[in-house]
Amino acid sequence: MVTAIRYHVSVAYFFAKLAVQRQLEYPLFLVSWFLMIPLQYISGVWVLKLMVEQFQALAGWTFPQLAFLYGLGLLSHGLSVIFFIQTWHIDNMVIRGDFDRMLLRPMNVFFQFVVNYVNFIGIIDLIPGFLIFFYGCAQVGFEWTLVNVLKLAAVVIGGMFIRASICTIMGSAAFWTKRSGSLISLTLATMERTTMYPLSVYPKVIQLALTFILPIGFISFYPATDFIGQEDGFTLPVGLAIWTPIVGIVTFAVSHFIFQSGLKRYESAGS
Amino acid sequence: MIELSNVVKEYTVIKKKSGLSGSIKSLFKPEKTIVRGVDGISFRIEKGEMVGYLGPNGAGKSTTIKMLTGILHPTSGTVRIGGISPQENRKSVVKQLGVVFGQRTQLYWDLRLGESFELLKRIYRIDEETYQSNLEMMYEVLGIDQLINTPVRQLSLGQRMKGDLAAAMLHSPSILFLDEPTIGLDVEAKQNIRSFIREMNAKRGTTIILTTHDLDDVEQLCKRLIVINHGKVVEDGPLSELILRMAPYRLLVLDLSEMPDPQTLHHHGAELIKQEGLKLTYRFHKSDISASELISGLSAKLSVVDLGVKEPDIEDMIREMYRSSSTA
Repeated sequence: MVTAIRYHVSVAYFFAKLAVQRQLEYPLFLVSWFLMIPLQYISGVWVLKLMVEQFQALAGWTFPQLAFLYGLGLLSHGLSVIFFIQTWHIDNMVIRGDFDRMLLRPMNVFFQFVVNYVNFIGIIDLIPGFLIFFYGCAQVGFEWTLVNVLKLAAVVIGGMFIRASICTIMGSAAFWTKRSGSLISLTLATMERTTMYPLSVYPKVIQLALTFILPIGFISFYPATDFIGQEDGFTLPVGLAIWTPIVGIVTFAVSHFIFQSGLKRYESAGS
Repeated sequence: MIELSNVVKEYTVIKKKSGLSGSIKSLFKPEKTIVRGVDGISFRIEKGEMVGYLGPNGAGKSTTIKMLTGILHPTSGTVRIGGISPQENRKSVVKQLGVVFGQRTQLYWDLRLGESFELLKRIYRIDEETYQSNLEMMYEVLGIDQLINTPVRQLSLGQRMKGDLAAAMLHSPSILFLDEPTIGLDVEAKQNIRSFIREMNAKRGTTIILTTHDLDDVEQLCKRLIVINHGKVVEDGPLSELILRMAPYRLLVLDLSEMPDPQTLHHHGAELIKQEGLKLTYRFHKSDISASELISGLSAKLSVVDLGVKEPDIEDMIREMYRSSSTA
């Protein structure tokens, strides 16, 4: 068990190292990266300003609460862009036959797929998230206790896994249909919209779907209601925030299963 | 060692109709046809063999290799490598395999060659000692010690292929699959690759399965040929036997100094197939007459200035195999 964990960690670490090195190979890329930092910063502040000016209280949520909700969603979005961006491109990998090489190596293909790339440049995607989230925190009076920080970390990481799993599940359709790019864009757009506003603005049917079918509600809405103490939507036992990492693990297991079933139908690419 | 029995691989192809109305029709009522990429292939390869797996483009070569290596699942039939199914027990099978696709590299384009090797060392859990001794061997046989710190994108095609071969051998596989390893290489690089393949087979007893369109590869490397076409095996046997059966004739070409007397042209065991002025071409069979017998017999009667013996042409032979299996 220990040797198995050490083995997987050492491979994952080396993949990550190579991924970062590959990105550092191109100085121009890095220059644009540094240019992007202030740009992302400005865009974050701009969105915030826009929200302050335009947003009204929505479905019983005050503006600061909305900023907290949106910021929380952006944090897990940023993390998924860093660690799971490859889940957006399963269809390309299927068409190019990129799984061939992974299948030839004596290691779980899903694991190789997950650790294969770290989009280190994606760190800049976190900047607007941090800005908006900290603004929201200050406004709603979020208490930075140890328990809250741990809960917050569990929620953000859990949210990252939920996002990654949903993209993996949608992307795995490519094993059957070859193309799933439009499905992925649709999923990403849906996730962006539904993590931005309180789930309670949507009709009941959609709320149910976003809770039990595509559990997007657990990315930011349910944990935010828990943190803020806003009574809204469903009430679940043991504090809604705890459910995010649990749902994260469950959806990740489901996405693993669907990916594996898809891989059995994988047809490689002609050569 | 390697065993395929009755392996079939079917693909569903959706026939697209032309035009917008056709596109809409195929959207609602797709016309599906099932194509057999591999149509009941069986063969057995023993440990240490060097086998050429040939066939025209689209014959099913790559599909077979992908089923042997566990990438694809056969529609029916069984594949066994050392008694184990690569589909059911992928990890334990692929541990013993080295696979090189000539058209696709497994090396990281942007990184030093050595970094791709380091990654493989971790994935295959190669211990330091084995890794070093294998690397030494690759340095020696392929001469890549100078290249180890070069970014892969700066390597020539021949150097990159050497890197790919080394990468495939680091974990000491017992079977090496090579899918067109000499494609696009110059004469010298081809020779290097071939001597590497021979050496791995001789020194390590590595079983080698090679697909290629290069007939020099076939002639110099493969003791046995398996030829497929339209997803079926059309020939399987030792190269020498196939030549003897399919292309048993050799040609003797003579240049004469003066017009011969037609009466003297005949020689037993050989047939005059062409006469162009002072140039004569005889065809003869190995088992009927030896080349030296024929030469001395003919030069006694004719005024021979120059001569040449042409060995059976394996290109012709293979073309004939592809052709006859296509019309059948």
